[in-house]
Amino acid sequence: MSSETSSTLPSSTSRLQRHADWAVYALFIVMVLGAPLVIDDVFWLNRIAKYLVFGMLGIAIALSWGYAGILNLGQGLFFGLGAYMTAMSLKLMSATSLQQGSDKPVPDFMLWNAEPGAVTDLCCINKGSFLWIPFQSQWFGMAMSIVIPLIVAFVLSSSIFRLRVSGVYVAIITLALVLLVRLLLIDAQPITNGFNGLTDLGWLTIGGFEFDPYMVETYYVVAVSLTVVLLLGRWLVSTRAGLILQSTRDDPTRARYLGYDVAAYQIFFFTISAGIAGFAGLLYVVAAEFASPSFMDIGFSISMVVWAAVGGRNSLLGACIGAILINTVEATVSETEIFKEAWKLIIGGIFVLVVLYLPNGLAGIARDLLGRFERRRKGTPAETAPKAAE
Amino acid sequence: MSDIIFIGLSLSSILLLIALGLSITYGAMGVINMAHGELVMIGAYTAVLAGLHLGLNLFFALPLAFVTSGLVGLVIERLVIRRLYGRIIDTLLATWGVAILLQQLIRLEFGLSFFGIHIDGLGPGLQNMTVPAFLTQPIDVAGMTIQPYRTFIIVVTLMLAGLTWWLMYRTPMGVQVRAIMRNPQIAAACGIDVRRVSALTFAYGSGLAGIAGVLLAGFKTVMPEMGASVVVDGFLVVVVGGVGSLLGTILAAGILGQINGIVALASNDIIARAVVFAVVIALILWRPRGLFSFKSR
Repeated sequence: MSSETSSTLPSSTSRLQRHADWAVYALFIVMVLGAPLVIDDVFWLNRIAKYLVFGMLGIAIALSWGYAGILNLGQGLFFGLGAYMTAMSLKLMSATSLQQGSDKPVPDFMLWNAEPGAVTDLCCINKGSFLWIPFQSQWFGMAMSIVIPLIVAFVLSSSIFRLRVSGVYVAIITLALVLLVRLLLIDAQPITNGFNGLTDLGWLTIGGFEFDPYMVETYYVVAVSLTVVLLLGRWLVSTRAGLILQSTRDDPTRARYLGYDVAAYQIFFFTISAGIAGFAGLLYVVAAEFASPSFMDIGFSISMVVWAAVGGRNSLLGACIGAILINTVEATVSETEIFKEAWKLIIGGIFVLVVLYLPNGLAGIARDLLGRFERRRKGTPAETAPKAAE
Repeated sequence: MSDIIFIGLSLSSILLLIALGLSITYGAMGVINMAHGELVMIGAYTAVLAGLHLGLNLFFALPLAFVTSGLVGLVIERLVIRRLYGRIIDTLLATWGVAILLQQLIRLEFGLSFFGIHIDGLGPGLQNMTVPAFLTQPIDVAGMTIQPYRTFIIVVTLMLAGLTWWLMYRTPMGVQVRAIMRNPQIAAACGIDVRRVSALTFAYGSGLAGIAGVLLAGFKTVMPEMGASVVVDGFLVVVVGGVGSLLGTILAAGILGQINGIVALASNDIIARAVVFAVVIALILWRPRGLFSFKSR
């Protein structure tokens, strides 16, 4: 199992590579933060904000898959949980929730389905509605968007990794779990609005300022969040803990015999990755104004893995760019129905080819090119260089 | 009481039908074939097309679908899976891409829809397969109503399971397959043509998926996306049963089908499926190698 996940990262990164790495990071951040100066169409800006959120999901996947060697096929669970928590708060802030003949907000779908004569108050309009009461505070909902995924991921990963379940079984457990929660969410129709999800939400309001999704300020909230997460992730994997994590990925048994508590590192990074996904869910709701059980479809969770694989599973930035790139191209191409279907054909083909021929994705290509350039500049014959890298 | 068991049995047989092919491709070959559901879908479409264009009924569609899906499986093995043996997670990802490709090929009628050509029975819409009348009329036997189509599925599934068991445990080919399962390198050293046997095994598992597709088409609408939900159920059965154990797969299908049936009766279908997922997670945590398994690899 270890051979397939082990990275082909060069064992020692040269100074040029380190510099190039930072240059790419800087360029990316400048582009993300500077986009509103170039694009003045707020609709496109809103779209890009959503893709930046997907980029954040790419980071979460790269962190658990690329750096920890844990393929989580249920990342949508944490994204979905994060989205629903914030969406509940924003739902209570929407105009339709307030105009229901009650001085306290009640979600419209609860009223439509209420028993005749039920008290129109969150406490007792139906059996589960009291769960919504704390969400009257927007800050509570937003905090829960991160806290709940963290808790769920911690409990889940503790049982998985303490029992030393690994490899494909982790993928299957996470897959089954996301499907399980999706079903429960749909079944809890009275409090979650089932299949329809939460729509018609209010706007995030901070200090009296309303973040209309079609506004440059909202774009900046997403862009700055992405930058912070990217840099924090980058810092995290370069710490001592991050290096030990990578050693557990390459050979868990050796790491264990060297005295490291392998499970503890796996649990920590799996949980962090879930927290990032939850945060992404929060931001997505702010930008897209809905939360739906489709966030927990298997297809969506596997799509995230596709983005990361195309961008480069071993690179946080690569996975992030992969997600943004694929979604932007998809949006451009999908303007017409016929191209939309053809695009899916192409993405399926690209994915097969990437797995077969480019296991390190776009980031891998970039590293290879840089390595080649460096060797040429030093005048080292290309044939001897791979040996030196080993 | 017998009603409940029969419902469970019927659910189990469908699970087993799907899992049977997977227990071979995943269990025997260590390939997580996410396109298995699409091979099921291709089997279903074979039945629809055979009915529409050739006037063939269900019984002729079964062997036809076996051959069609088997051939598609052979092509997938040649082009993609052959390069990925031993990289189990990568097989999962690559075959996911294959699954999207196959779905789109059916939806776009092999690309002909770009040129405005339409083939009846393909495309993004919903299709139906007509089941012969004598399989749809409920029969009363000793005060019990028997659904003949469900019974037919159970019988066919049991026959296929029997056939698979016979192939695996009573033929020279089966010996070679089991040798490869335990250790491909040693098998190769003993003179087994691992590539050829693997390709044929994969094709056989794919063919079984095709048959499952025909039978599913009898009571489900046929559409390009129908495979997606199928494949996950199949995997859960195989993993719970124990990788590479035919008996385990059969028992796991039996247990999960019965749980689904009983819980569905006590609450509803959604909760029943949720309970099945919960049981699967608990079982994998408890015994990651499945209920029945041998040491290998």
